[in-house]
Amino acid sequence: MQDQLVISKGARRFRRLGALLGHALIVALASSSIVALLFIFYFIVRDAVPFFRLEGFKEFFCSTHWYPSREPAEFGALSIFVGSALVTLGASIVAVPLGVLAALCLSDILPFALRQVVKPIIEMLAAIPSVVYGFFALVVLAPLIQAHGGSVLAAGAWMVLAPIGLVAVAVGGDAASARLPRRMRTSGRIVSWVILAGIAAGALVVLTGALNRLVVSTGTNALNVSIVLGIMALPTIVSVSEDALNSVGRELREGSYALGATRAETLLKVVVPAARSGILAAVILGVMRAVGETMLVWMASGNSARIPSPWFNFLEPVRTLTATIAGDMGEADQVTGSARYHVLFAMALCLLAFAFVMNVVSEYVMRRSRKMRG
Amino acid sequence: MNNERRDFNAPLAKPSAKARADASGPRGMPLIRAKDFSVFYGSKAAVDRVTFDIQAGKVTAIIGPSGCGKSTYLRAVNRMNDLIPGCCTSGILSLEGQHLYASDVDVVALRRMVGMVFQKPNPFPKSIFDNVAFGPRIHGTVNQGELGDIVERSLRRAGLFEEVKDRLGDNALGLSGGQQQRLCIARAIAVNPKVLLMDEPASALDPRSTTRIEDLIGELRGAYTIVIVTHNMQQAARVSDMTAFFYEGRLVEFGDTEEIFTRPRKKETEDYITGRFG
Amino acid sequence: MEHRTRTLFNRSFSFVSIASIVLMSLSLVVLLGPIFIKGSGAFVFRGTVEHRKLMLDRFGRGDREAVGIEAARADAARKPIYDSLERFDALLEEGDPELRSKYAADFEELKGLVQELLGPAPGAPEPALLRQQYGQTRWDRAKIKLHEILFVEEYDYSDPTKMGVKILKPRVDRFKGTSLEPVFGQLERGVVYMMRPRLTCYSRFLFDESYDSHFFGGIWPEMLGTIYLALGAMLFAVPLGIITAIYLAEYSGEGHFVSFLRTCISSLAGVPSIVFGLFGLAFFINTIKISPSKSVLAGAMTLAILVLPTVIRASEEAIKAVPATYKEAAMSLGASKWRTILTVILPAALPGVLTSVIISMGRAAGETAPIIFTAAVSVGKPLAVWQTLTQPTPALSWNIYNLATEHQAVDEIRHVQYGMVLTLVMLVLILNLSAILVRARISKRLRA
Repeated sequence: MQDQLVISKGARRFRRLGALLGHALIVALASSSIVALLFIFYFIVRDAVPFFRLEGFKEFFCSTHWYPSREPAEFGALSIFVGSALVTLGASIVAVPLGVLAALCLSDILPFALRQVVKPIIEMLAAIPSVVYGFFALVVLAPLIQAHGGSVLAAGAWMVLAPIGLVAVAVGGDAASARLPRRMRTSGRIVSWVILAGIAAGALVVLTGALNRLVVSTGTNALNVSIVLGIMALPTIVSVSEDALNSVGRELREGSYALGATRAETLLKVVVPAARSGILAAVILGVMRAVGETMLVWMASGNSARIPSPWFNFLEPVRTLTATIAGDMGEADQVTGSARYHVLFAMALCLLAFAFVMNVVSEYVMRRSRKMRG
Repeated sequence: MNNERRDFNAPLAKPSAKARADASGPRGMPLIRAKDFSVFYGSKAAVDRVTFDIQAGKVTAIIGPSGCGKSTYLRAVNRMNDLIPGCCTSGILSLEGQHLYASDVDVVALRRMVGMVFQKPNPFPKSIFDNVAFGPRIHGTVNQGELGDIVERSLRRAGLFEEVKDRLGDNALGLSGGQQQRLCIARAIAVNPKVLLMDEPASALDPRSTTRIEDLIGELRGAYTIVIVTHNMQQAARVSDMTAFFYEGRLVEFGDTEEIFTRPRKKETEDYITGRFG
Repeated sequence: MEHRTRTLFNRSFSFVSIASIVLMSLSLVVLLGPIFIKGSGAFVFRGTVEHRKLMLDRFGRGDREAVGIEAARADAARKPIYDSLERFDALLEEGDPELRSKYAADFEELKGLVQELLGPAPGAPEPALLRQQYGQTRWDRAKIKLHEILFVEEYDYSDPTKMGVKILKPRVDRFKGTSLEPVFGQLERGVVYMMRPRLTCYSRFLFDESYDSHFFGGIWPEMLGTIYLALGAMLFAVPLGIITAIYLAEYSGEGHFVSFLRTCISSLAGVPSIVFGLFGLAFFINTIKISPSKSVLAGAMTLAILVLPTVIRASEEAIKAVPATYKEAAMSLGASKWRTILTVILPAALPGVLTSVIISMGRAAGETAPIIFTAAVSVGKPLAVWQTLTQPTPALSWNIYNLATEHQAVDEIRHVQYGMVLTLVMLVLILNLSAILVRARISKRLRA
């Protein structure tokens, strides 16, 4: 029995059947993700369709009259779509530059030991539950913005614009004096520095002065949500773009350094263009996170279904799709089957479709970047 | 299993009783026979129509420059190539008269009869004991005392027992490279195979550990049929009874080691062993 | 550009990007700072005699005699206040209608405030609500109440062009010339003796049930609910996730089915969490009726789908990181595929798999949106294990939202909210930290 190399037909059949069954079982279990996704689509669509059948598309997408509990109810969700878009835009403005710069810093600038310190910080930011961000925005940030809105904004503007201005002045002054004859260059540089610094400081003072005078009527507004949402989306953007930057490879960097490029030039002209699909994918993922976030926007966006005027006024409260679903389902729950119930599924369907399309796009972008790299 | 119901569809098949007699009978009978045997990766033949017999109880070395197909041949003997997608074979490769690529061959049983030692020592991240006991366990030995006997015997045979007897529970990855490789040999012989395949077993080791491995091969000679692939010709000359020289997938020459190294019949062999290429 | 400009630009670029990292780290500090500082206030605070009375009455904790003595002393200090109030009350009852119309409303307000601070007067009928049976249990709240007694908030609308300005007026002005006038001074001076604040470490905050919708007591029901939900989610997600990961890493080639499966997994990861909640409501509860209404089971299953992609991805990576030589060695010893996976590959991949499981558990514990419609209620008792199949539960994440926005006295229970937030954050961070430790520890053991 021990050194029997061949097996009988019956045993072979038995074994093959076993392997087949095992394989079938594992495929079946592995397909659970597919089943889950299809079920999600099916059940959201199933409960969204009655709404469109009852109320049609036009009002939902084009009207800003959101009065679901009035008789007759109106379901114009345009202002809610705008609210979602506005908040997402604000979060991207916060998170994209910060995230990409941080990723560059992590991949190329910080020494290895410091990187090991920063990584856990990013992991912690990613791990903190969204309701905690929401609590912070509602209980800490909102009163702060409401009480000292203008000064907070001014301080923020100083913090962001001052270093950028400093760099711009230094580089601009140098560039301006570069054309002068050699013997005038030093004095010319100083003169242009002084002039540019004056202009920049003046502009900054005027801007922050204007901000300082702003009166913020409510702390739960689009600005508050955008800032916190931006911080929430940061870890995604940082880690995905860092991966993209790291996968560019040493050879390319060394090639650039060997030609005498500085680190900034290498990063901006060689590494970032080479990693741009990966960075794009990171931005898409960050945007998806911002669009899909519920608790934070529900708690801190003010939940007012109006389009701010002008539309970019971040100091007004807004209302988003996710917050509407979360907030209204509590009231609509009891009347399963009403238009009020189904309209929330229609919103969920919009969210789902957006997330799905974005995901397919980001996958496509990632795959293309991988192919380009070979 | 039932001996009467054996399937004799392999061309070289002999009555099983005779095959057994071959294996346990007088030394020097052919145990592994290759006849026009080829291995393809996709459309490329890595081993190209080789024909030669490896005899039971002897140490057979396969030499040749890298990429000549010697490792591929070795891995064909216990069908490890099955793991590589797009790999297929033609011709006959038989063990004890049973064609190994017949559809009714039990790969698990085959691999149990044909042990293998790899280029880089690859102990599992388990204890030394569990490493050696891995094979017996998966083949159904559960009795702890029996397992202990097998582990001790195998480790003794591999010349490792005295060094590790006090720390059988320690992680095997804590051993030195040479010890790890001997552990891998002990692990392979714990299932009591007939054939031991060694794929450049000493190439990742320092000279001293290499010597120990070579000594060990000498000690195992006779008890097992050993096929060793090596790119080190001195090693082949030292340890083997028979030597096969592979070049570009073909078997160039096969014969007694002494003859190959002193009176090669083919020009390519001579060039290779005198170091003109390779 | 000139060489020096380029160098300068290079330097400033490094500076700006390092500033972005600093800003990011700073935001973490700004976020966690208040949570840690104020959150610890739920555990360590200056508790008044009312806190000790409550602990004795409700939980049977503390020395009955000592608390009795202390309460008696506090009552003695409070007696003049109660006495004056009673006298004034009697005066209003018997006195002339003019006096009554002048002071009745203000006096009722004052009496209510004093009762909120000190608790009901001895001998008065016991109020129905538990929160009215005790005075302020925390010294910080007591000071705020005292301030409310001493000062009246009014808005000054004298300048019609501006919004009203808040001004504080001493309440004592309303009772000028009455027998109540000295009461305010007595209160201000004697409040320490009336409340007897003492540094209290309420470490049972985590494990106490809550009383009167979180006015008193701890957060055990929420803790337990969160633990049930997270563990339940893992119960479903881990086997499915690991099997899928094994399939992806060991069985599948690069066929159409596999790329479709991968697309589905990444799409699932991108679905907004609130959509999972709606799905859970529509499928688990409304369609297959897994439980009569919301239940821990439905919530855990919803969460399981949510974390499934995370588990799959991390596990697949861990399995793929196992050296191919282990597989070869096991195969060469005659192990079947399943045997190899179970006895060699999975144990070697264990640290990575375990890390992914722990991190996913943290994620499941912190998610709110998926459980709003499937599992969470605002108030509830701690559940026994079998009740999780049918009953909804309070959970930390949901109750943070609920207490911070929908509670009837949001400001009065700030400390409970902060305590919950701190607990949740610590829970998640500890899980993440232990994941990192597990990874480091096991991979070290594996390496040597």
